[in-house]
Formats: sequence, structure tokens, C-alpha cells
Amino acid sequence: MTYAPSDEVRLLAALAQCEMALVRRDPVAAALLAQAARHAEGLPAGELVATASALVRAAGVHGDEPAERAARKVAQALCRTALQTSEAALVGAASETSG
Amino acid sequence: MSRRGERVWGEDAAVLAAAGLDVAALGRLEQAVMADARPPAGVAVHDAHVHLGRDADGHQLAAGDLVADLDRHGVARAVCFPANEPGSDGQFSLANYEVARAGREHPDRIVPFCRVDPRTPGAEAAMERAAGEGARGLKLHPVAQRFRPEDPAVIVLVRRAAERGWPVLIHAGFGARPLARPLATLADAAPDATLILAHAGRGDARALRAALDGRPGIYYDTSLATVTDLVQTDPGRLLFGSDRPYGEHASAMHLVACAGWAAGWAPAQVAAVLGGNLCALLGDDA
Repeated sequence: MTYAPSDEVRLLAALAQCEMALVRRDPVAAALLAQAARHAEGLPAGELVATASALVRAAGVHGDEPAERAARKVAQALCRTALQTSEAALVGAASETSG
Repeated sequence: MSRRGERVWGEDAAVLAAAGLDVAALGRLEQAVMADARPPAGVAVHDAHVHLGRDADGHQLAAGDLVADLDRHGVARAVCFPANEPGSDGQFSLANYEVARAGREHPDRIVPFCRVDPRTPGAEAAMERAAGEGARGLKLHPVAQRFRPEDPAVIVLVRRAAERGWPVLIHAGFGARPLARPLATLADAAPDATLILAHAGRGDARALRAALDGRPGIYYDTSLATVTDLVQTDPGRLLFGSDRPYGEHASAMHLVACAGWAAGWAPAQVAAVLGGNLCALLGDDA
């Protein structure tokens, strides 16, 4: 699957929402991550986002049991890493264009 | 089967496995990210931002677990300070003691900083006590302890830290209140201080650069920062940080690798961000 910078922009915007929703334990995080996972299909961050989405589906965002907390933290880390991947691709591309 | 104490993405692998999660797959993904983020050969990684103890919000990290994390990710050592556990005196005395003790138990791996609350009586005495216990710097958290960075009580503490030759790491970012002018006021009032602005000032980074660029003694740690903010910052002013246990090392190292790639940093600049800048600031060899 090929992708364009605009696909990265869409994913970056979605992941930024996911990151804060996860930190705030907002129930919308699961839906946002599921959407982001679809946006990420075929992109470099695809596996990270799909895994984060699956984790949140399995563990939810509200629970305080150790396993739920741990799964949520891993989902946050995956989401952060995906965001970095996407942002770097865009910043790097912008530098090449302007440079 | 995961042994208790093994960690994946910063979390206990046994706990994740008990929840039915595929820990092996999570581990492979983490290893793949770490492979992409591997530092240049021979570069020592030093972490400027780690909390030890147990935060009121449930995050916790013990010294032994941190050292295992450092080993796993090839991090030489970490600057550590208490989580948000001010204790009965409100001055983090017990937490500071524990961090200093961890520093004595792991002198090559843990650099202890103390944490105090400038707006609660006894802050200077708490710093003095922490210095006697081995602290080498000061951590301040304006959001958790509900003070303003430009408060006169903060200025006094930062000046005291500067007199000791201590760096001061200040939580900077993620807040509603603008930070650039307050931090510029603090920097003006304590011109000899070394200020490390955590999270690279996320949320205020652009205004902070405009207000503080060119001033000596201003540094930014990379913990939980954004790629764009790091790319727009002089790498000579950046200090690698993980913010364990709120953050973790794989994504923290990946962030620096991404920023370095996007900004076109030379290997020497990457090395400086990952450890050289912090070692120079602490007066140690990298």
C-alpha cells in the first residue's frame, strides 16, 4: 500500500487525540484508537497503533486493577512511539521540501 | 512465561501476561523500536529525569527496578528525584532521604536530586538536609505543588541551588498557564542558575525559545516532549530524559532518534543530547 504525506497528517492528528484521551482515561480513547489504527494501515506506525488499539479494547481505560493499569500504560507508550514516528516523517519531509 | 520483575514497555511482564496479553509480541515490538533508536556506537546514555518512590496517583518505581531498566536499555545512569509524595512535613523529607539512599546504594547509576515545596515552610532547611544526605540538584514541580515559577519563594530556592552549583529541574509543560514570561522572570532573578525545563516545555516550547534563547544556563529535557519541539531546539541545550515511571525508555530513546533524524543532527550532537550535555552540566565525564 502506498501512502502520501496527507495520510501521515491524518494519522498524526488522530494520534494526538488518542494520546491525551488515554492519559485522561477518557472512554472515547478506544474509539479514537480504533479509527487511528485504520488510518495507520500501511504506514510505518501501523503495527504500533494496531497493537495499542487492541490493548485498549482488551483492558479498557477505566480499570484500576494492576493488569488494567499496566495495559493502559503500554498502550500510551505505543501511541507515543507511533506519534513520534509520524511526526518525524512529516517534519523530515517538510525540511527536505524547504531545504 | 514471564518472570516477575521483567518489564515490557516499562510495565511488569508477569502482570501483563496474567491479563492474557501477548507479552512476547509486545516485547518484539519494543525490541524493534529500540533497534531503530539505537545510539551511535560508543555513546553513553544518561537519563536526566526519573522519579523514585510512589506517587499519590499510583505510579511507582523502586531503585532496584530502575537499575534493571537502565541495564535493559543500555542507560548508564539516571538523575532521580522523588515522585509526588511530599509526606507529613510537606517537604518530601522522607522521599528525599530514600532517593539519596538509592544514590548511595547505586553511586554509578543514580544521581540524587531533592524535591521541595517552595510555598511550604521549611523548604530551605529541607534542601540543606538533602544536601547533607548527598543530593546534587533540585527538582521543582509548580503544578503538583501549586506555585508560580516566578514566586519570590521560588527565586530564593533557585538562588540557593545556584550557590551550591546545583542544577534545578523544573516541570515545564502540559499546563494551562503560560510559562514563558514566568520562567524568564525566574531566569532574570537567578542569572547564575542552571535551569532544566522538563518535557522541553511542551505546550509552551515556542514561546519559551523566544523568551529564553541565548541565555546561558537554560536546558530542556526531552521527556515526553514532541519531535517538533526538539527539532526546533539547539541540541546543545537538550538533555535526554525518560520521566520513568510516567514514561518509559523505549519511546524516550525513540523520540531522540526521530528528532535527530528529522533535524539532521550529526552523531556528535546525538551523543551530546543522549548524555554528553548532562555529564558536562553535572561536571562529570560522559
